[in-house]
Amino acid sequence: MDSKLRSLEEAAETVADGSTIAIGGLSMNAVPMAFVRALARRKVKDLTVVAIVHGMPIEWLVAAGCVRTVVSGLVSLEGFGLAPRFRAAVQAGRVEIEEYSEHTLICRLQAAAYRIPYMPTKAGLGTDMLALHPDTTREQHDPLSGDPYVACTPLPVDVAIVHAEAADTRGNVRVDPKLVWMDSELVKAAARTIVTVERIVPEASFRAEPHRTTYPRFTVDTVVEAPWGAYPTSCFPRYGYDGDFFRAYVAAHTDPAAGQVFWDERIAGPETHAAFLDANGGPQTLLSIARGTT
Amino acid sequence: MSERYTIDELMVTTLAREFTNDTRAFNGAVSFVPVCAYLLARRTHAPDLVWAASSIAIDADPKSIPESTLSDGLWDGASMLANSAYDFWAYAQNRRYNTFAFRGAQMDACGNVNNTVIGPYESPKVRLPGGGGMADLSCMIPLIYLWSTTHDPRTFVERLDFRSGIGWGDGGDHRERLGLPGGPQLCVTNLCVFEFHPDTKRMQIRSLHPGVTAEQVIESTGFALPAPEGDVPVTGEPSDEELRILREEVDPTGARLREFR
Repeated sequence: MDSKLRSLEEAAETVADGSTIAIGGLSMNAVPMAFVRALARRKVKDLTVVAIVHGMPIEWLVAAGCVRTVVSGLVSLEGFGLAPRFRAAVQAGRVEIEEYSEHTLICRLQAAAYRIPYMPTKAGLGTDMLALHPDTTREQHDPLSGDPYVACTPLPVDVAIVHAEAADTRGNVRVDPKLVWMDSELVKAAARTIVTVERIVPEASFRAEPHRTTYPRFTVDTVVEAPWGAYPTSCFPRYGYDGDFFRAYVAAHTDPAAGQVFWDERIAGPETHAAFLDANGGPQTLLSIARGTT
Repeated sequence: MSERYTIDELMVTTLAREFTNDTRAFNGAVSFVPVCAYLLARRTHAPDLVWAASSIAIDADPKSIPESTLSDGLWDGASMLANSAYDFWAYAQNRRYNTFAFRGAQMDACGNVNNTVIGPYESPKVRLPGGGGMADLSCMIPLIYLWSTTHDPRTFVERLDFRSGIGWGDGGDHRERLGLPGGPQLCVTNLCVFEFHPDTKRMQIRSLHPGVTAEQVIESTGFALPAPEGDVPVTGEPSDEELRILREEVDPTGARLREFR
């Protein structure tokens, strides 16, 4: 039986320059950061990055020069501050931001998943959001009632990358507890899916509790074992986000030189995922954010 | 302003008093003021109020509020963790959820909000975080509450650089013509409470915070405000009990102060 298990680096190799990738997780939660770091280190180019509500992964990919276009509803580091690299890159015209509202993006992903011309919604009516991309969020009127609505056209995604609790080597995946939020839309819309997981378990574990399986093996193409793979974001309920990392990141980026040092030493420099965790405090940091397991 | 309380506490209690047992709310990113208000209302006069922390954790009862209002630190004690986007968006559109609070870097007289760019979209002077779900939820949710911790002419403008979320749109019956329910109910700022004129749907002063004059509000507002007729009510002050609950139970670490820097 073919194993879908690959290393972070091998999985990152499969993302070609110019691809459209979609990053799972939500803001501070369950972002496949270990994979994002591997992509950044590989210096893949000209990516279109679909990131519905995100912060740190956009920062890293922008810092590494991987991004041509960000397709997103919100890019920020929340209570920690604005996203400094992203903001500077957009203001300098180095990176393009195609802003959509959260729900019209989900509708576009659903239209892609269902292979239908568009998904209708009332979302975005009366705002300036629609005119930014009139070809993909068209204001139309229902032929019978005359009601206005927004037609959201398919958003094709080459690769979806999501982080989960466990997988087997055949590609069955468990998000546990089942907090898929928007990740399942990414998996359904994408031509190919890469999943990073906290641990690899035997297939028997899925057969023993099939009601707990989130993505079946035929929807998952590549599996990567990456314990603490969402760090510095959280992986509920195993561990929380590392607030110290976010604070230090924002503080360092008030000065470009300090920001670069932070980037080199604590993010891009370390050769392996384990070395990256060590560069950020290692076991002591991980112990401080650990919340226990299910 | 009294020495008994601070402006963040006045804003939270003012907003909290608007909510009832029929309030069914959720929250987005950087929403410390409304999150505190939902929790305070639930611990005082509205025990049946529904609040989904981060739009995910229903009936959450956190011991404190973390740096992110979209993070799992806010989810403790929940009776349900909504497992997919469907759980949320269907209830937002069928009005099982009925209340949403948002703010922006700019706000106009009709309560439309910009959180996308300052300057032109293509070559922005400042790239802001983006509207997130604002454009969606402002179309779906009937009871909209606005707040701003920076009441000045840069925030309250006649013309937005970008409309990320709709309030009363172009005013009058614009929302109705678009087939959208309800609209903004009020806007709580650090100087006053605005309500909306029943016909024009433009902001007007409902009450002034203690010690603030109407002239001060007019000067701090970038769009034309009608001079209030007669005595303007003063915003009700927080009670000792509300202050105790807010400080000791709802937000003991003062996360809400992140919005007042």
